[in-house]
Amino acid sequence: MDLNFIWLILGGLANVIVILLVAPFFQGVLRKITARIQSRQGPPIWQPYYDTFKLLGKEDIESGVSPKMQRFATYLSLASILTVGCLVPMGFRAPMNGAGDAILLVYLLTLSGICMLLAGLAAGSTYSLVGISREMMAMLTLEPLFAITIVIGALHTQSFRIDTLLSGGIYQTAGLPVSGIIMLGVMLLSFQAFVQRVPFDMSEAETEIMEGPLMEYSGPKLAIFKYAQMAKLVVFSALFIGLFVPWGSGLVFPFGWLLFWVKVFILVLMVTVLAATHARYRIDQAIRYFAALLAVGLVALILASNGL
Amino acid sequence: MDARERLNQLKEKFGPAIVRADMPNDSRLYVYVEPSALKAVCRYVFRDLDARYVISIGADDRPFSGNFLVFHDFAFDKDKILCSIITTAAADNPKVDTISDIIPGANWAEREISDMFGIEAVGHPYPKRLILPDGWPDGLHPLRKDMDWNHVPKDFDENREFKFGETPPGCTVVPFGPFHPTLDEPAHFRLYVEGEVVRGCEYRGFMVHRGIEKLSETVLSYNDIPMMAERICGICGCVHSVAYVQAVENAAAIKAPPRAEYMRTVMLEIERLHSHLLWVGLACHLVGFDTLFMQSWRIREPIMWMAEKITGNRKTYGLCLVGGVRWDITPEIRTELRVLLDKLEAEWIPVVAAVVKDKNIQKRTRDVGVADKQACKEMGLVGPVARAAGADIDCRRDHPYAAYDRVDFDVITHDTADVWGRVVVRAKEVFESIKIVRQCLDKMEPGPLMLDIDGELPVGRLGVSSVEAPRGESHHFVITGENNKPRRWRVRAPTYQNLQGVPGMIKDQMIADMTISLGSIDPCFSCTDRMETIDLKSGETRVWSQDELFKLVRERKA
Amino acid sequence: MSVMSKLQETLVCLGAGRVTLPYPFKAEPVPPNFRGRPIFDANKCIGCAGCANNCPSREILVYDVCQEVRVLKYVGRRCTYCGRCADVCPEKAITMSHEFETGTNAINDISQKLDIFMSTCQRCGRCFKGAQVLDELKMKGYRFDDLQNDRWVFRSQAYMEGEPVVDDIKIELEG
Repeated sequence: MDLNFIWLILGGLANVIVILLVAPFFQGVLRKITARIQSRQGPPIWQPYYDTFKLLGKEDIESGVSPKMQRFATYLSLASILTVGCLVPMGFRAPMNGAGDAILLVYLLTLSGICMLLAGLAAGSTYSLVGISREMMAMLTLEPLFAITIVIGALHTQSFRIDTLLSGGIYQTAGLPVSGIIMLGVMLLSFQAFVQRVPFDMSEAETEIMEGPLMEYSGPKLAIFKYAQMAKLVVFSALFIGLFVPWGSGLVFPFGWLLFWVKVFILVLMVTVLAATHARYRIDQAIRYFAALLAVGLVALILASNGL
Repeated sequence: MDARERLNQLKEKFGPAIVRADMPNDSRLYVYVEPSALKAVCRYVFRDLDARYVISIGADDRPFSGNFLVFHDFAFDKDKILCSIITTAAADNPKVDTISDIIPGANWAEREISDMFGIEAVGHPYPKRLILPDGWPDGLHPLRKDMDWNHVPKDFDENREFKFGETPPGCTVVPFGPFHPTLDEPAHFRLYVEGEVVRGCEYRGFMVHRGIEKLSETVLSYNDIPMMAERICGICGCVHSVAYVQAVENAAAIKAPPRAEYMRTVMLEIERLHSHLLWVGLACHLVGFDTLFMQSWRIREPIMWMAEKITGNRKTYGLCLVGGVRWDITPEIRTELRVLLDKLEAEWIPVVAAVVKDKNIQKRTRDVGVADKQACKEMGLVGPVARAAGADIDCRRDHPYAAYDRVDFDVITHDTADVWGRVVVRAKEVFESIKIVRQCLDKMEPGPLMLDIDGELPVGRLGVSSVEAPRGESHHFVITGENNKPRRWRVRAPTYQNLQGVPGMIKDQMIADMTISLGSIDPCFSCTDRMETIDLKSGETRVWSQDELFKLVRERKA
Repeated sequence: MSVMSKLQETLVCLGAGRVTLPYPFKAEPVPPNFRGRPIFDANKCIGCAGCANNCPSREILVYDVCQEVRVLKYVGRRCTYCGRCADVCPEKAITMSHEFETGTNAINDISQKLDIFMSTCQRCGRCFKGAQVLDELKMKGYRFDDLQNDRWVFRSQAYMEGEPVVDDIKIELEG
């Protein structure tokens, strides 16, 4: 066996393990900061770890319309996010970035979104169907934003390779990277929606539709779904950092690596504060918001195709 | 106009149909009319005299006068009069003419009378069961005097099926309840939705009956009932106990000492404060804004501690007895209360300012759950719901009780008739409550807290009392009786009327707005469900659909 | 999104600090007139059963074993801690303690039973008259010949050995 190949696998695994270990920690940070903003003590930072272990030990009741699909959707959701994690640089060059290109990235992210739809369909109750219809509407208007970013990066760097794109490829223009800056703004404004937090968590609104697609999940499957959501936060932060704020990632280990996690922390902080200070949007209001962002994104795309 | 003039108006128009009239004081009018003239009198009072419909009540008077009684309560808010149009129904096969075709808000009340007493409302547009479950045997009416309070019917039909109405074409059914995270108490709203838009709604409630009114006539005595009354609701307990003792005092023509009246006022306003702060937080939680929810409740907590200091409990104050109150405000507590009110005001002002300017919350509440002034009149909506639509009604000013005639305050109204208006009204009423408590603390004179009642209370007298609960008008009706207990006690909580207005509010709105619309009436299902049933859930029938209700309103016969 | 108002809201929140109380790890003090579990003092009780008459939940039961001995039982299951018993007791034998952590699955942790030795009135046997009409303190004990008027006494079938002397309200108690 080729040593390179082994390092490749180990490197990918390392990324996955890091994500698995660290995702609940950021969730815990999010809950703690939210609590402090709400003048309360909040749960300990390690609470999501406890919650996940507890859920894993609970009885697995399969109560939806199609239990096989429920199982499939659960495992697929975590698997797709972790696969993205293998491809994304997290403080150093992604070990498996030769394995795929940016198009694969877009597809994998869409796949993780589709898992939620499958989950809701498998549950089959009225509320979960309402939840996935909201999720579908949101996805239709959100995913293109990410795709536009990738395309703009590809236009500038003339390549779809992940490592070129995810090291600030979007800024590589001759003069002022106007489209890059526009997309930075757009993605900042829609980041909250990608990670499905308030004000954009209408697909799983507890008070309105009883948790929507996740309604029929319990025990280990719920743990995996929740884990996938926590991992999404970390992975999307990594993507965002790679696309828009990659500076400093070339520093020697461990500084580059630490700087990366500091950036992730700052992003999580932003998500937390926004989540704690806003009310949830209705689906039609959210769609209008995304559509406006999409329009701006298209303008950026046009600029990019003209060299800006 | 005073009560006598109103009576003269009625006498002029209806002359011989008026059998008898009682005016125990300036603000109460009880008019007994012939059954055949009931509908005409009610129409005249509601439309021409522009009175506000309050409630319809039934009573079993067969042991005393040989027939049933039906009361229709109205309020002349501008004249400060509470008026009751009373008629009799024969003991065997009792019937009265319906007034629901004139007054849509009487829909539930008449169905309740027919469930509880068997008095049929002839011509009722929707004569289905409201309170009794479907399996309940026919012909058994709980509030009749010949049915025991602990009687369990033997032929309860558990297999009677659930009969829903027809789903309108193109709609799916979204069941909202009986268990849902937003609802604290079980209620069932069957929403017919097209995509995300609600096209129709059916409501079925009364699932948690406790038999309170039956108990009050059978096993409890006058001074036991306030302890039960304050447990009717989980938030507005003081309101119900005050309204009950005031109704009894009204019937017996006794008056509590002045210090007791001030105490009642102070505790009522403290209750209003904690209820409104709770509600603002809850409304924010319903739209997904948990931070403001936590903050409102944090600001509210010292009020609960103060209530505990004064009365011994955070919520069930145990305050009222017939003829007075049990607790007093010592000088130390008075100082602490003033400090608390100052702090509360200081903390609430920035919260209100932040909420009023917050576009995010406004987006979720503007033009949502609209109930305009006409709907308020037709359905008899009360409280902040009506005031947000511009209706200037408030029992504290219109039918003064306790010490409200001795304090100054403003009645807050708004003109948008939507959930946003209700948020603003409730947020601003907090300041008025603080003003009232401060004035009471200034004006309270030392004195006795309880009246010395020498003899037994007179028997067979009518008493009504309207108290402004945080949710609206809470109206209690009492007929005094023998053996130290009332013959009849009827509780009409504000949510009883406001719930009838909900289907109109949510039509053509999105599902996401359902919860906040329902939440905006500040529903207190416990207040609404205080009539007797034994808790056996079984088949439910359709209540009334959206279209029928609107048809009712639009095509009313003149 | 109105940034300024959000900022204002956040400042309001952060200014308040942390308000979580450490209860139940630390005891939370209650105000002096807090109404907790009622405690009955057998030494002061005169057996008038005014508390039993005025308990809205009918949780205080009275049974006359014989002419001299009256048994008073506070069951405690439906007690709402309203404090009416303490209000009407003429001897102040009932105090509303500050105990509110009364959850248990053994009713005997909460019930209180008083055996009271009653002396006999030479004129009429035994009776008491109350002050306030509505408080129904007029608990008629029993005179040998006046059992039929005794309708305000609440007794429990389950706590009696032998036949009840007057029709009572049947209260089922198990365990």
